[in-house]
Amino acid sequence: MRTTVEKTLKMYVGGKFIRSESGRVLPATSAKGRPMNVAAASRKDLRDAIQIARGAQKSWAGRSAYNRGQIFYRLAEILEDRVDAMPTSGADVLAATDRAVHFAGWTDKITALLSSLNPVAHTYVNYSMIGPMGVVFAAPDPADGLTGMVEAMLGALLMGNSVVLMVPTASAELAVALSEALAVSDFPGGCINVLTGDVDSVVKVAIRHDDLDALYLLGDAVSADLLEEIGTENARVMRRLVLAPRSARPAPPSRLAKLAEVKTVWMSSALMSGGGAAY
Amino acid sequence: MSNTMNKRKDDKPTLDLAGALDLSPAPESCPVTIKPRYGHFIDGEFVDGEGGFATINPATGEHLAEIAEGTQAEVDRAVKAARKAFEGPWGKMSGLDRGKYLYRLARRIQEKSRELAVLETMDNGKPIRETRDVDIPLAAQHFFYYAGWADKLAYAFPGGVPKPLGVAGQVIPWNFPFLMAAWKLAPALATGNTVVLKPAETTPLTAMYLAELMQEIDLPPGVVNIVNGMGKTGAAVVGHSDIDKVAFTGSTQVGRIIMRQIAGSKKRATMELGGKGAHLVFADAPLDQAVEGCINGIFFNQGHVCCAGSRLLIEESIAEEFIERLKRRVEVLRIGNPLDKNTDIGAINSAEQMGTIERYLSIGKEEGATTWQSSCPVPDQGFFIRPTILTGVSQTDTVVREEIFGPVLSVLTFRTPAEAVKKANDTEYGLAAGVWSEKTSKLFEVAHALNAGVVWANGYNLFDPASPFGGVRHSGFGREGGIAGLWPYLADQGGAA
Repeated sequence: MRTTVEKTLKMYVGGKFIRSESGRVLPATSAKGRPMNVAAASRKDLRDAIQIARGAQKSWAGRSAYNRGQIFYRLAEILEDRVDAMPTSGADVLAATDRAVHFAGWTDKITALLSSLNPVAHTYVNYSMIGPMGVVFAAPDPADGLTGMVEAMLGALLMGNSVVLMVPTASAELAVALSEALAVSDFPGGCINVLTGDVDSVVKVAIRHDDLDALYLLGDAVSADLLEEIGTENARVMRRLVLAPRSARPAPPSRLAKLAEVKTVWMSSALMSGGGAAY
Repeated sequence: MSNTMNKRKDDKPTLDLAGALDLSPAPESCPVTIKPRYGHFIDGEFVDGEGGFATINPATGEHLAEIAEGTQAEVDRAVKAARKAFEGPWGKMSGLDRGKYLYRLARRIQEKSRELAVLETMDNGKPIRETRDVDIPLAAQHFFYYAGWADKLAYAFPGGVPKPLGVAGQVIPWNFPFLMAAWKLAPALATGNTVVLKPAETTPLTAMYLAELMQEIDLPPGVVNIVNGMGKTGAAVVGHSDIDKVAFTGSTQVGRIIMRQIAGSKKRATMELGGKGAHLVFADAPLDQAVEGCINGIFFNQGHVCCAGSRLLIEESIAEEFIERLKRRVEVLRIGNPLDKNTDIGAINSAEQMGTIERYLSIGKEEGATTWQSSCPVPDQGFFIRPTILTGVSQTDTVVREEIFGPVLSVLTFRTPAEAVKKANDTEYGLAAGVWSEKTSKLFEVAHALNAGVVWANGYNLFDPASPFGGVRHSGFGREGGIAGLWPYLADQGGAA
């Protein structure tokens, strides 16, 4: 009988697989019933991840929608390929795959649907376009498996945000498998980062960070009694909080709009001679 | 105050229009009746209310009326009335019929625009030229615009099933009292919500006039309730347990207090907060128009504008000349009686705001800014501040970082588009910005790189109901105007199957 090679569970930050800088781990059990040590994201791990995500955001948003769609689709290809290798049910992997295909088809269309050309009473071409908020901290419902992780991550990435995905200790093995799929799906390093550990305690750090633009929490991603503290701390920097139901269905356009900012531009469309203010 | 126009050392002729063009006073004479006391408007009825404070004409100090201070019990009655209307006639009405009420209101506002403009100018202090040409017509247009949405909400989101949220608690500021009421009420009502509105304590009169118009058009009782009061009353409105939606326009500081107050609740919120708008002028800009735009950007409404272009960034090669042009132009602005149709700049809204602006002016001096003010004479009574230009300031100065909310322009320079964008975005705020150039590619690149909810390219302080307005970062979230202005008043939509 051969001795199995067991895998160290690492987090995925800036395109690299890392242990927690704290050296701390949390105990969990693998899908095959083996005891595991899960990297426990620390305060500094989160700060590093946010800083790296911030650095990667502009270039991610700056890629063409076609390119981002292909990267999402590549993730679907990899997941389908690994349907039997992922530490979750085959149905979960296939649902997650289909979710990735769904979002891959949105990247070059959602802007057209949620933007508008506004008929203003001035000689300006006035348009409102949706754009990224910046760095989003996303957390799936712990019971939603791989589908929930893909839903939480891709909805925010779709709108040009970079993402720190926080997965609870119990799902860490699956989060690592997802990270390994991400690592070969051509996502530029840092635009998607995956941390594992105790979600509530990491959220408490996230809401005290000044350079995080939004929290995207699905289902019961965090304890209900934490929501008041989240709201209170978010108020300091007017951080967006997007609460969503579990991941049974993909985010509709109304929710995608909440994961974006609307920017309005008044572009002058007349020669400037004779214009000017009313004074 | 010395006239710097005459101090120039070169031989260029000076412009001395201020003395040459004395205009006879041309006060707006439309009579408007102001009652001695205003209470609240609850469930379609005017109620007396308790206690009270005075609202004054900031241009004269004259007492205008006594205003009741809404209690928790009155707020409770207002919310109950709004809930009843939401579950009753308003909630059951077709979108088309709801829209017709908004159309009626738009028409009544147009018909009474002269009275409204005079009343707004008296209560607020802004020039009649602005209330007549901007505030009141835009408010009517806003109702007219959203009226048309009421029966088309299924198109607000692709594939959406529109549902209102319920009762909205709305708290509005004193800088555009009537227009902000329109911005808040029109989308809320078009989407089928009902409202409890708290006007600003220094400018409640036009909201009460609006209540009279709502009675005239037979708007069902309880659809709009107005409770007057100070901050405490506003807190009672947004904190009420039966409010589903909070919409606030005001300072970032108060926005934070409200967000903390509703933390952990299921209430949806829209926050339209402060700003420190960057206004970029490139050397290849149409300079005559840019001068007008910069003046409109900061001195419109005495600078009491959340999106005011209060940070002017000029390309270094033209900075000296541009600042001279600005000063020459500002020098001929007329400060004075807001009811006079010749007045460009009216009164600061309150003694409190006057104090805030003066405090920032002294901070600016302490931090080394060079202060220039127009020499225009100002009235002996009322609250007036001359248009002010601060030069010799840097990115870290208080007057460059903080919102002053007055007629004070801080001027900085830049050398490259990249530096301009970096300086412009170096702020906690992100409400609005402006850029001037005749080069199209530069306009697009810079406009898209500016981190703000609204960007004007070759213009500033333009508003339209069809155009979404609102900020990013500490300037808040949610949009008012346009299709995006419907979103904050609609419940989450179901996803695709």
